[in-house]
Amino acid sequence: MQSKMLAPLFLMLVFLSGCMSESQTIIDDEGARESSFDWGLPDSIPLPQEPDDNPMTEEKFQLGRHLFYDARLSTNGTVSCSSCHHQDKAFSDGVDRATGATGDVHPRNSQTLVNVAWYQTLTWGNPSLGTIEQQITLPLFGDDPIEHGLNESNSEQIIQAIQADPVYSELFISAFPDQDDPLLGDLVWDNTIKSLASFVRGLVSFDSPYDQGELTDSAKRGEALFNGERLECFHCHAGYNFSDATIDRETTFAELDFHNTGLYNIDGLGAYPSPNTGRHEVTGKAEHMGQFRAQSLRNIELSAPYNHDGSVATLEDVVSNYARGGRLIASGENSGDGRVSPVKDGFIVSFEITDDEVSDVVEFLKSLTDTTFINNPRFSDPWTEDD
Amino acid sequence: MKHYFSLFTLFIPLLAQAHYIPSQDEPITVKASLSATWRSDNIVDENEYWQIPGTNMGGDAWPVEEGLQIDEMKLGLGARIDENTYAIVEIGTHASDSDDHSSVSLEHAYVGYVCCEEFGPLVLEVGKMSAAFSPSLSAHASDSLTSESSLAADVFFGRYFHDEGARVMWHTDSITAGAEVWKGDAFPATASAGYAWDAFARYQWKGSNLSFVSGAWLYRSSAETRADHRYGGGHQHTPVAVPGETASIFPDTRFTGDTDLYGIHADFAYTSDSESWKAGMKAEYMGMQMDGTLHDAIGRTAYLDSEQTGSWAQPYITIKDHTFGVRAEWLTSDNLITGAAADQLGTDSGMANPTGFEPSRYTAVWLWQWKENIALRTEVVDDQSLLEDKLRFGVGIIWKQTLWPFNSKSHH
Repeated sequence: MQSKMLAPLFLMLVFLSGCMSESQTIIDDEGARESSFDWGLPDSIPLPQEPDDNPMTEEKFQLGRHLFYDARLSTNGTVSCSSCHHQDKAFSDGVDRATGATGDVHPRNSQTLVNVAWYQTLTWGNPSLGTIEQQITLPLFGDDPIEHGLNESNSEQIIQAIQADPVYSELFISAFPDQDDPLLGDLVWDNTIKSLASFVRGLVSFDSPYDQGELTDSAKRGEALFNGERLECFHCHAGYNFSDATIDRETTFAELDFHNTGLYNIDGLGAYPSPNTGRHEVTGKAEHMGQFRAQSLRNIELSAPYNHDGSVATLEDVVSNYARGGRLIASGENSGDGRVSPVKDGFIVSFEITDDEVSDVVEFLKSLTDTTFINNPRFSDPWTEDD
Repeated sequence: MKHYFSLFTLFIPLLAQAHYIPSQDEPITVKASLSATWRSDNIVDENEYWQIPGTNMGGDAWPVEEGLQIDEMKLGLGARIDENTYAIVEIGTHASDSDDHSSVSLEHAYVGYVCCEEFGPLVLEVGKMSAAFSPSLSAHASDSLTSESSLAADVFFGRYFHDEGARVMWHTDSITAGAEVWKGDAFPATASAGYAWDAFARYQWKGSNLSFVSGAWLYRSSAETRADHRYGGGHQHTPVAVPGETASIFPDTRFTGDTDLYGIHADFAYTSDSESWKAGMKAEYMGMQMDGTLHDAIGRTAYLDSEQTGSWAQPYITIKDHTFGVRAEWLTSDNLITGAAADQLGTDSGMANPTGFEPSRYTAVWLWQWKENIALRTEVVDDQSLLEDKLRFGVGIIWKQTLWPFNSKSHH
């Protein structure tokens, strides 16, 4: 009987030793790290999504680069994309609000063009603009305000100018090798937009001191504050692109996040000055008043003045507004206390902060400045090279 | 009715040392236990997260720490209400990280009903309780030979299993069988995904010198956005490190899907005629299948298909008041992660195992029953559960006593 009782134990030991399979983990990312374009990314950054109808190629990037710096893409030959997006300012322009080809002043501050490929939506406050291709038509063809000023009456003339330029002939054919004549008729505009989008999509900045792990002691203190319970900065300026409006190839679904930071409260109900009311302009919903997309903080040092209308001069002022829980405008047509806005974001709460701590936070933000990016010849004006 | 108690005397200690039924002879019992251990080293450093490669951990599977640590404290009340009915209430605290996770919690609060001698008897229990399907799962530091729970229990069940549910068990002289249904609060389940359940059966035999128990069990559960609540699952911030050190934010990856486990276990012992020594072996093998989705707060998802195994074997010999034993443990994982975010989520969730690493751990124990209610324990642990091999020593004390009635005895 006792020998029979040993049998199950023996079987157990056999089972223990025999059933141990070899360990492995197979990762199948279904091509998420593959692209026909050399993005030049560090391994830690996932590739951005590329539109199926406009995959990235180096040829389209180079064509878009020429178009980006070409003032012929405006009604009077005075404005190019680069007029409001200067490389040395991380493709912002250093003024509170830009002026278009015909003198219209844009209600919004010119954004940086940094890692735009990772943005979930384009522009400051439009939740429906999901691709760069969509967005580019606004500065080119929009009339409220007029930026480049292109329209039906002048587009034919601009097409002819592009068609006549031998540099473009070569670039278009190279960029769109499957088309018999990529400069033919309206196909020019479709190809122009795709190429401009490819160039903007390829403006990649992940080589700052922060990325290199070279923070000063002050910046390290600032980073801790940035990610701390007291300041709560990182909730909206989250992740590797320092914006919660970030998506990439790994993103399956994402919520649309826009935030009212308490910058204005001109009627006691949280109103922002018209027409600059952010997401509310598109949806018309009262709860969307003053909601804007959280901008990436990469190269933020270079893009003063700040906020959607360029109404805040310095990073120190931005931090102070957040510390107060909203901006106070004591007098004038926009007077009001943003701190008591009923529609501001829940993360905009007042907090105590010393001047030294403000300096530390700003020092951390400056560690996101990528000098390689702003000096990269790949992103510079090609026409000066061609000359 | 006396027949019930003779049966319980046989099977209850084998079923789960933490589980008991108050007798009618002693209708009120109060039991207390404490296990404390000083260890020479941590598993992981202070600002690091304990994540065994190839696994997705959670629950209360906190890493042991250097220095003195209370492994657990328990205080339990058992009441025999009438011939058929009884109730158990137990509070306890377990070792955890150094912050505020070691608060006292209600671990057992259930009512039991025992009846139907002609069929078995049958036992029905309802309330918050430990699972009974695996004997090792409900054996805590003061019950088991080693102070550290098994790697398999840590990885597959988050160390402990306390949940609200119902249990029915049927017994004969040699067979115990039962089933349990759970609300789903205990790792690896989540209540939002519905009920978890298990079924178990075991065979027990006792001769003049030999005794033997073997059993098998099956557990099935589902989870919805299951977090690793040791470090994540809520409002996330970068941990505060001391000046000069760094700490990274925990990647709060979630799992939604099914987790099915099965296991077999055996407990064999030989007792000498004079009862001056006893030798035996305990062993358990668990297999787990995970099928679902890994995802995180920024919209990344990947599909997970995982098969994992965990096992341990523990030979021991007891000579008078001294027990010497060795526990060997092994884990394996075979994971397939598919999707654009597979690489990142595989890393963040802990399921990535690029080198095919197979965790193991070997523990040598000397336990001395110094006094009637106090035992001293010395351990040497060769911990190969992480990529870096660690050797640590432990010296501990176990106090285990029946406080009421006064004249009762408790042994480890």
